[in-house]
Amino acid sequence: MPNTISRRDFLKLGGAALGALTASQFIPPAVAKAAHTNGMLDATNSGYIPSMCEMCVWRCGLLAKVEDGRVVKLEGNPEHPHSNGKLCPRGQSGLMNTYDPDRVLTPLIRVGKRGEGLFRIASWEEALDLVAKNMLDIKQKFGAEAMIFSSTHNLSQVQFENLLNAFGSPNYGTQRSLCFNAMIVANLMTYGMEEPDRKYDTLKYIILTGRNLMEAISTSETSALSKAIDRGAKVVTLDPRFTKTAAKSAEWLPIRPGTDLAFHLAMLNIIIKERLYNAVFVSNNTNGFEKLSSAIGAYTPDWAAVITGIPSDIIQRIAREFAEAAPYALAHNGWRTSNFVNSFQTERAIAILNALVGNWGTALFPAAGEESGVLGAPPQPPYPRVSAERLDGVPSKYPFVPLKIGVFQELREAVLSGQPYQAHGWFIARQNPAMSLPDRGRTLQAFGKMDFIATIDIIMNDTSWYSDVVLPEASYLERYDPLLPVGDKAYIRQPVIEAQGEGKSALWIYKELGTRLGLGDYFQYTDEEDYLNQQLAPLGVSLEQVRKQGYAELPGETAEFPELDWNTPSGKIEIFSTTLDRGGFPGVPQWEEPPAPKDGEFYLLTGKVAQFTQFGTQNNQLLHKYADEPRLWMNAQTAKSLGLSSDDDVEVASSAGKIHIKLLATQAIRPDCVYLTPGYGHLSKGLTTAYGWGASDSDLHITYTDPVSGGQALSQTFVTVKKL
Amino acid sequence: MTEIKNKAFLFDDTRCIDCRACMVACSVENKIDMNKTRIWVAGIGLKGLFPNLTRASMVYHCMHCNAPDCLSACPVGAYIKREDGPVLYDKKKCIGCRYCMNACPFGVPHFDYDKGLIEGAFIDKCTFCPQRIDIGLEPACVATCPTGALVFGERADLIKEAHARIQTHPDRYVNQVYGEFENGGTTYLILSHVPFTELGLPDVGSRPIKDVSEQVMGLTIPVALGWGAVLTGTAVAVHLVNQKKGAATKKAEEEVPEEAVK
Repeated sequence: MPNTISRRDFLKLGGAALGALTASQFIPPAVAKAAHTNGMLDATNSGYIPSMCEMCVWRCGLLAKVEDGRVVKLEGNPEHPHSNGKLCPRGQSGLMNTYDPDRVLTPLIRVGKRGEGLFRIASWEEALDLVAKNMLDIKQKFGAEAMIFSSTHNLSQVQFENLLNAFGSPNYGTQRSLCFNAMIVANLMTYGMEEPDRKYDTLKYIILTGRNLMEAISTSETSALSKAIDRGAKVVTLDPRFTKTAAKSAEWLPIRPGTDLAFHLAMLNIIIKERLYNAVFVSNNTNGFEKLSSAIGAYTPDWAAVITGIPSDIIQRIAREFAEAAPYALAHNGWRTSNFVNSFQTERAIAILNALVGNWGTALFPAAGEESGVLGAPPQPPYPRVSAERLDGVPSKYPFVPLKIGVFQELREAVLSGQPYQAHGWFIARQNPAMSLPDRGRTLQAFGKMDFIATIDIIMNDTSWYSDVVLPEASYLERYDPLLPVGDKAYIRQPVIEAQGEGKSALWIYKELGTRLGLGDYFQYTDEEDYLNQQLAPLGVSLEQVRKQGYAELPGETAEFPELDWNTPSGKIEIFSTTLDRGGFPGVPQWEEPPAPKDGEFYLLTGKVAQFTQFGTQNNQLLHKYADEPRLWMNAQTAKSLGLSSDDDVEVASSAGKIHIKLLATQAIRPDCVYLTPGYGHLSKGLTTAYGWGASDSDLHITYTDPVSGGQALSQTFVTVKKL
Repeated sequence: MTEIKNKAFLFDDTRCIDCRACMVACSVENKIDMNKTRIWVAGIGLKGLFPNLTRASMVYHCMHCNAPDCLSACPVGAYIKREDGPVLYDKKKCIGCRYCMNACPFGVPHFDYDKGLIEGAFIDKCTFCPQRIDIGLEPACVATCPTGALVFGERADLIKEAHARIQTHPDRYVNQVYGEFENGGTTYLILSHVPFTELGLPDVGSRPIKDVSEQVMGLTIPVALGWGAVLTGTAVAVHLVNQKKGAATKKAEEEVPEEAVK
C-alpha cells in the first residue's frame, strides 16, 4: 500500500531547505497581520478573501482562507466565471508558491560571474538606482532601442508596456510566438479577432486539434468539455499521443505530426463537394468561398489518408458527422498551435471549417476580451516617437504579427547576430527565456552579449540566475494588480496577506524605476490602491466594496449574443484573404509539406501535464509531490526493437543539443514520436525543489520561425535516442 | 444547504482526468506531511496495444464503510463510526498494533513509519474532512474537483444518481455501483467503465468481513494484553525495520498495466 510518495526520494534530491520541510508538516511561516481586513477577516485575522489565481494565465477566481494572518487554503470562487468554485492542482498548490522556501525576498546584486549564482543582498534603493543607471547609460551610448524589455502575459503587463513605451524602446518580447502565434494571426486574418470565445453547453460534436484540455487545464473550459461529454457530445481528438484528453474522447486519431492541415483540408473538401455547408451563413458572412471551392478539389480524403495515416473512410465519416451536428459543432483551434511550418495554414483551415458549417453563435462567439474602455486609467503624456526598427523583424519581416505579440525567438537571434543593431541591456519581468526559448545554448550566448540584465520574479528563476540584478516581486497572494475585466465584471487581485520580506508589487516596481529613469509623469499613481481607485473612478464603486465582493459590475456589456462584426478588410469572414494574397502568401489555405524525421530519428513532441504551467511551477513542493517523474515517452514496440526499456537512462540528441533522461516505454504514443514533458531541467540552483529533476526540451529544440505568423515551430525538431 | 443525514461520496471514473487537484487539496486542507498522502491513485493506467487503448483512473481513499472492519479490529477503540457516515480515528488511543491495516479489505489505513513510539500518531487515513462537512462545506477533495468526478451528498440520492447515469449511458459503465452493497455498503460509491478489479478494488462480497472477524477478534484483547510486554519490547526494533520497508513501497505507475498486456 502506498503510504509514502516513495517513487522519489526527497532528501536525496532536494537541498537543505527541502530536507528541513519534509521532516515536519507544512506550516506556513507567520507573516505580518493581513493588510486592511475590510470586514473580511475577524479579530483573529481569519476569514476568506476573494482574489485571483496566477498559477497559469486562465485567472480563476479564488477565495483565500486566512487564519491568523496566514493563507492556509485556497478555494475556487463560485462567483468567478473562470473557476466556478473549482481550482485545478496548480490553483490548489498556489500557497506553496507564496511560502516557497526558495523565495527571493530581498533585492539581489550579482557578485560572482554570470551563472555562478553568487549574489549579495541589496536595498531597494541601491538595486533600483543600479538598474536605472545601467538603463540610462545604455540609452545614452546606444539609444533606447538597445534595451530589450520582455514580460509574459500578466495583469500588470499594461504598466510594463507603459515603462518600455515611455523609455522609448521598440524591443518588446512576449512568450506568444512560442505558443499560439499561428492561431492568433490566422484568426485575425479570417475573423478579424485574436481568439473567439467558445461555449460548450449545446455542442454535440467537438474536434480537438492541439488542445489537450484534460491536462492543459483551463478550469472552466475543461469543466465545460467534461460536462459536454457527460451529456453525450462526441469528442474526436487528433493527437500523436494518447493523452488524458484522448482517453476521454469517443475517438482518438493518432495523426502523423505536422499533418493536421491535410486532415482539415480533406474535411473542407468533403463538406464543399457534398454541399454540407451552411449556404445561408456562408453567403451572408463570408467572402472567397468560390476561390476555396476551386482550390480544394485536390485535397481528397484519399490524398489526406496517405499523408495523415488516418484512413480515408474515417476522414469522410467525421466530415459528415461534423456537418450533420453543425451548428452545434466545434473544430477547436487549439492553443499551443505553433508546431510546424504549416501550422498557420492549419489554423486558417480550422477557422474556415467552423465558418462553412455556421458554428458562430452556437459554438463560437465574439471574444469579450480583457480590455474594457469603461475602466479609468492614470493620466499620462504621449509616448516618445520611436524610429528604430524592431529587432524581431515585426513588421518589416513579419507584417502580419501584432506588435504586442512579436516574434521572441527572432529577437534573440538578432541579439546574437548584432543585426540590424546590437542590443546591450535586457529588462525581464516574470519571464524565463532561459527555459522558454528554443535552443537554450543560444539563449545563454545571448545573455553573454548583454552589458546588463535585470529580472523581476518571486523566485530565483533560471534567467535571474544569469542576471546582474534580481528584483523580488510580491507573490500573487501578497499584492495588487490592475483590475481585470471579464465580460460584465472587473475582477480584483488583492493582497490576502502582507508581502513577506521586501517583495513589492510590479505596479510599485515600475513606478519606482520609471521615476528614477526620469519618466515619473507616466506613472501618476501614488500607490497600488490609488491605481485601482483611478480605474474604478468612472464606475462610482469604492475599492473597499470591490475588495469585499471580489469584482465590480461593468455597465452595458451584457449582450447575450453581440452583433457579428467582422473586423477584416472586407467586413466579412475572409475565406480568401486579400491581405495574405498581397503579402505573397496563399489567399486560401493550401497544403505545405512539413519536414519529417529521417530514418532513426523521431519527432520530438512536448505537451502539458496537469501539474505544471510551462517552467514556472516545478519548484512548488506540492506540485512536485504529486507530479509524475519526467521521462521520455517512447512507443513500447519501438523501444523493444531498440533494446530499450522503461527507466533506462538514454541520451536524446538533436542538432541543437543533447540531454540525458530516463525512458518510459509506453503504448500511448506513435512509433515515430518521442515525448518530453517540458519545463524541467532547470539551471538555477536557487530552485532547490526543481533543480536536478528531468531535462529541458529547450536544450533540444531547434529555432524555426513560421514566415507568416512568426510562430516558433516547436514540434519541428527531430531527435535520436540511444542507451547510455 | 439541507442537512445531509447519511453523507457519502460518488466517484465516477469516466469523469476523472487524473489531474490530482483532490490530492493537493487534501494535503493542504489536512496539513499532510510533504512525503505522505491520504489520497492516491491505484490500479490505474493504460490497457491495450497502440492504437487501441483505454485508460482508467481511480481516486482512492477511505471507503468509510457502514460496518468498518478497522473499527472492529481495533483492540483499543481508536476508531469510531459517526452516524452520518465518517469513520474517524483517534490517534491518542492508537497503540500502533496495525490490526486495522490487516483488517481493512481496501488497504486504507497506513502506518507512519517515520514516527516513533513517543511521537505517536501511528496510523493515518482519510477523515472525510469533518472540520468542513460539519460547517456545511464539501470535503476538500470534492470541493475542488474540476470535472465533477467526485461529488458529495446524501448516500441514497447518490446511489439513485449513480444508477441514473448507468441507465442514461449503459454503454459507458459497468452495470454496478461499487459500494452500494460491497462489504456491507460503503459511503464511497464508485462508477467505472472498466471492471472494478482493474481500478484496484477488491472483489469483496456484500457481507462485511467484520461479521467474520468479530468472532475471532473477541479473543484479541485478552491475548494482546498478555503479550503486551513482549510487544512493547519488540516495537522499537520493528519500527526501525519498518522505516526501511516503508521507503520501498511503490506507487502504481503507467507501465505496470502495460506489462500486464504483453
